[in-house]
Amino acid sequence: MSEIPAIALTVLIIVLAAAYGRRFGIGRELSIVGARSLIQILILASVIIILFNLPLYWSFLVLLVMAAIAGHTTYSRSGKLENSLPLAAASIAAASLLLLIPFFLAGIFPLEPRYVIPTGSILIGNAMNVSSLAIDRYRGEIKNKRGEVEAYLALGAHPGLAIAACLKQGILSALIPSIDNMRNLGLVWIPGVMTGMLLGGADPVEAASIQIAIFASIFAAGMIASNLLLYYSTDSFFTKAAQLREDLD
Amino acid sequence: MEQAHIELKNVSKSVLRKVNNVKVRTQILSSLDLKVQQGELITIMGASGSGKSTLLRLINRLSEIDSGIILLNGRDIRDHNPMELRKKIGMVFQLPVVFRGSVRENIAFGMKLWKNDIDLDALADDAAIPKNLLDADAGQLSIGEKQRVCIARALANQPEVLLLDEPTSSLDYKAAGKIEMLLLDLRTKKNLTVLWVTHEREQAERIGGRRLILMEGRLEEGHV
Ligand SMILES: Nc1ncnc2c1ncn2[C@@H]1O[C@H](COP(=O)(O)OP(=O)(O)OP(=O)(O)O)[C@@H](O)[C@H]1O
Ligand SMILES: [Mg+2]
Repeated sequence: MSEIPAIALTVLIIVLAAAYGRRFGIGRELSIVGARSLIQILILASVIIILFNLPLYWSFLVLLVMAAIAGHTTYSRSGKLENSLPLAAASIAAASLLLLIPFFLAGIFPLEPRYVIPTGSILIGNAMNVSSLAIDRYRGEIKNKRGEVEAYLALGAHPGLAIAACLKQGILSALIPSIDNMRNLGLVWIPGVMTGMLLGGADPVEAASIQIAIFASIFAAGMIASNLLLYYSTDSFFTKAAQLREDLD
Repeated sequence: MEQAHIELKNVSKSVLRKVNNVKVRTQILSSLDLKVQQGELITIMGASGSGKSTLLRLINRLSEIDSGIILLNGRDIRDHNPMELRKKIGMVFQLPVVFRGSVRENIAFGMKLWKNDIDLDALADDAAIPKNLLDADAGQLSIGEKQRVCIARALANQPEVLLLDEPTSSLDYKAAGKIEMLLLDLRTKKNLTVLWVTHEREQAERIGGRRLILMEGRLEEGHV
């Protein structure tokens, strides 16, 4: 029964961090964010308790809601690009689900809310981060390379061909943090899932194996989600007559 | 009367310009008319900012007109597939932009895209690109060399019309003269209709052809 001291410690740290943060003018923000995160995570715990007693499809519904919220975050990053709210939510949901299913098919986890929700949410959260970075960079590339994109168009290239280099650059730069993380896995940091399992008393080899499976899935989900999003967003940068839009700010 | 190759009727175009972070609509072209015959050479002069680039971009439909109509061979350009329209109407930009890769790959772009079977070496030769440059990285060329690559790349599409947006503006006098000769030569050779934007009166005089001036959003016959 360690929840009471853990929550007490959290509150204490948030209060102290907020007090300290006043020097940087972020005291107020820190206390709000801290309180908010505490409440959110407690609500999540309660939701999971409820889900434990509900049929499994409820867990998937919750994951869909998470994907929708993630999609909204990515959408804001895209500069509120036309159509990109449903596109972002759908890309993140599809990529995460695709990488979630094998864990249960392979029997790594039992198909229960206790496993579906946390694994799904890790995938969704990372797919969101990668997609946000990718769409932001994609848009920036297109804006900066306007001349090049129009040179392609002027030769009769389709929009997809004209911005292929921008798309590639967008995905590449969004994946760099993940690639670096993977390179340093176990050297600089012990990732969350393994930490959690170790703290929970699991065997280190089991913890490491599951961690690397999750890690690889996270990477793949991020790559697929961002690729889907960028690919299907391309049309939003152009008019019906294959003209690069002028209002990309 | 003979059908014009390109015809602009009553064409107007405005742009949204940001002034103190407020978007203001500015009229660039107003009720502009232009008729260009097959094989004709036209030079367009006008002050900086008068809308010369804007005008060319309307003809290959990189931008959309607000009102009026533009015809290619008597047919509204909006009834053409935009990609095919741009194949027929080639454009050379004010600042040359080369794609990643070699000079050869740059020139071959349109040939691959449109499956044109043309002699790349002969085309490079026409555009005065030396043989030993063909496999060089296009990104490292001088501006004049890049502009020649852009010209060859545009011609590899086998266009009917060539829109030239100050193709020599970033070159010195001598290099500009070479490109001029080259373009005039290619024009006769390939029987192209050419719209040539320039801001230099001397250049317009050297080039010859029908001279027009863009003023207050319309084209006027140039006075000597
Ligand atoms: N996308 C755009 N957004 C806002 N303003 C624009 C846009 N395109 C052109 N303009 C404005 O329209 C006017 C005409 O521009 P354009 O480039 O056609 O001039 P130009 O005659 O080619 O000038 P130059 O000789 O300097 O090349 C300019 O004042 C320019 O600021
Ligand atoms: Mg111009």
